[in-house]
Amino acid sequence: MTCAGVRRRLSEWLDGDLEASRSRIVSAHLESCGACSRRADELRAVSGLLAELPRLEAEPVEAPVALRLELAAGSRRPALAFLFRGVAAARPFIFPSLVPAGCLLLLVFGALLAVDPGPLPEVRLAPGAWTSVPASGTEANPLFPSAEVLLPQQLASLSLSPELLAGHGEGSLFLETVVARDGSVAGVTLLEGDAGLEQPLIEALRQQRFEPVRFRGRRVAVSVYRLISRTEVRSPRT
Amino acid sequence: MSKFFERDRGVTVGTGEMSLGARSIPGVVPEGELVASCRTGDPEAFARLVRLHEGMVVSLAARLLGEVEEARDVAQEVFLQVYKRLSAFEGRSSLKTWIYRIAINQCHNRRRFWHRRRRDREQPLDEAVLAPVLPGGRAGAANPYEETLRRERARQVQAALLELRFEHRSVLVLREVEGLTCEEVAAALGVPEGTVKSRLSRAREAMRRKLAGLIEGEVRS
Repeated sequence: MTCAGVRRRLSEWLDGDLEASRSRIVSAHLESCGACSRRADELRAVSGLLAELPRLEAEPVEAPVALRLELAAGSRRPALAFLFRGVAAARPFIFPSLVPAGCLLLLVFGALLAVDPGPLPEVRLAPGAWTSVPASGTEANPLFPSAEVLLPQQLASLSLSPELLAGHGEGSLFLETVVARDGSVAGVTLLEGDAGLEQPLIEALRQQRFEPVRFRGRRVAVSVYRLISRTEVRSPRT
Repeated sequence: MSKFFERDRGVTVGTGEMSLGARSIPGVVPEGELVASCRTGDPEAFARLVRLHEGMVVSLAARLLGEVEEARDVAQEVFLQVYKRLSAFEGRSSLKTWIYRIAINQCHNRRRFWHRRRRDREQPLDEAVLAPVLPGGRAGAANPYEETLRRERARQVQAALLELRFEHRSVLVLREVEGLTCEEVAAALGVPEGTVKSRLSRAREAMRRKLAGLIEGEVRS
């Protein structure tokens, strides 16, 4: 075996890992070759120096590891994780635990629905003057029928007696009726016609009752305009 | 505060091959039982496992990375990994070898992490790793002169070790410093035994060249 071959195997020879026959060859070579023998001593010294390195002492890591494990255990299960588990894996107690939460939600929404929200907030115009407009949808500031505000439906039909209508001459009456939030009539204003003559009719109109009108969940007052025409209908001459 | 670990030095674990020189073993729990207890989620058993192996993990990591604080940090990661993967431990190698393997991988990852950030060259070598002060001193290093020489030698050896490639360094530390057999080193690194032997040969040769001055004195004496 050449010096190069021996030197390649020196590490294994020192560890005693070389097979017996080769080990003997290497040993014999080392006895005869000073340079290789010296190399073997040097490698032995390397091992000696490494073995001399002390085991390093440090603060124990036990406590930080425990802390990190505890933190990991605390945050291991993300919220709503049960949604991503199979139905079979879902533990039955998860669902009962949702019952109180559901009850609470029902209670909150029920309370919100039961409480009458009251009139829409007042709108203040011209900030400098602090002129306030009555809240929209109240009797003082009624809404008008539109796509969202339905025409109030009369509850009991008011029979305008023929006497009531017949007492006066021909002509049209133009009236504004404000239907209050409770369905009663808050006011009737005669816009066109003789107020003195039409008083009984106005009184009769004031007695009318309507189905309360709702706008976005709130009861609102609605202003209704009516035109009453009275035309004498005569039978055609024969 | 910690429900996981309650300090208890009374019971420790032995496998017969553990290098636990300093630890007293009043009541020995077999390794298999300890692993089984850990798998059931027994925090006390895991605490015992950590106490048993933390010294070797920190020491190995410090030798491989050159920094004690970094090594402690890696050791924490190692035990977290052990905790997570203990159910996958099949017992084909010893628990110690298995933990060594996780530690080596963690050190390798950490080294690559720093390498990517170009910090590995800037990092100063940790004086605590280069020249550790041993509390009791070693046999033969009783006087201050001997102690100084020993520390200087250790400093040079550690500095040379840190200049080696990682795979050479790890094989050398496991074999020469930690005292594992070639078979155990192969298991810890997950490479064939032949690879361990060839790396060992190259690593020793590299160390011989780097420490030529020091070795000359050693051989002469």
